[in-house]
Amino acid sequence: MSAEKALPLDLENGPTDEELVASTLKGDLGAYDELIRRFQGRLYGVIYHLTSNHEDTNDLLMEVFDKAYRSLPTFRGQSSFYTWIYRIAINRSFNFLDKRKRRQGAMSLNELDEEGLPKLDLADLSPQNNPNKSIMLNELQNKLNESMLKLSNEHRTVVTLFDIQGLAHSEIAKVMGCTEGTVRSRLHYAHKQLQKSLGIYLKR
Amino acid sequence: MSEKQDFSELQKLLRLKRLETPGPEYFDRFVDAFHVYQRREILQDKPWYANFGAFLLEPWFAGLPRLAPVAASCALVLAGVAVILGPLSQGSGHLADGKVAHPRGIVVASVQSGQSTEIQPELIDTAAGGDASDLRPLYVNGHGAVAYDSRLAF
Repeated sequence: MSAEKALPLDLENGPTDEELVASTLKGDLGAYDELIRRFQGRLYGVIYHLTSNHEDTNDLLMEVFDKAYRSLPTFRGQSSFYTWIYRIAINRSFNFLDKRKRRQGAMSLNELDEEGLPKLDLADLSPQNNPNKSIMLNELQNKLNESMLKLSNEHRTVVTLFDIQGLAHSEIAKVMGCTEGTVRSRLHYAHKQLQKSLGIYLKR
Repeated sequence: MSEKQDFSELQKLLRLKRLETPGPEYFDRFVDAFHVYQRREILQDKPWYANFGAFLLEPWFAGLPRLAPVAASCALVLAGVAVILGPLSQGSGHLADGKVAHPRGIVVASVQSGQSTEIQPELIDTAAGGDASDLRPLYVNGHGAVAYDSRLAF
């Protein structure tokens, strides 16, 4: 089972991530800018789908790139740069989520930040654009976000990396520091949970 | 595996979440915003007791009443220590060999005297040649600070 359309992990042209890391360490700081540009979108996606809040995502993304830059001299190249920085992003997000949970309890849907951003309008994607269906699809979108938030951090991460970001099982295993079997197992469980919550909508 | 088919509709729905992303303008500006963020982090120069204080007060925010008195007591002791030790690191932080981050800008030269750092005002310079708000992007790594795209050679 693989994602239908995997996102490319390396740009087809130009220096590799590891070459950019080496250049950064040698003092070519424009190279780090290039690394940021390569990863900002994907890391934004990971953090956002874990936190469900755009403002928090922005703050965390800054922290992640800052932390990565400061830790770059300790990057040994034993794993690829993208695996390494994904780990940083996920660990930071988990720490943030733990703190938020302790302070506020479970996040309510009312706290989801949807302002100022292109809204996902499932109705536009529907072949039949009738009002009832539109209402139902918006409800489905809310329900989907709600169901995602009910998953544990690990299960939500696996769903995010596999279904939304399009990473392969093996890549997810490296990022999360577990076996592919664990990834598949978590994914299966998460799908079952989401299916259970959303089944009534998906059958229509 | 029949489960695969069962999840296909769900997976289509999940893929639509890829659209929940800021527009390209956000990402176009992100690198610049990051430079500003990192520069601010450097110049803030949080003293060690600020982070320690935040750590101690965490149980309070977390709603753990049993630990709150302990945290409060520690915070008081810490405040006392901070009053005594605070002046030692007031207003500046070491960035690299002989260089100091100061709220007024990046110091390109400084003189060490005892435990404190004497900042020589005539040697204070910023990467942009102006005040701190005009500083150009700055990165910091494990070895200290380096100016990015600036005429300063650290």
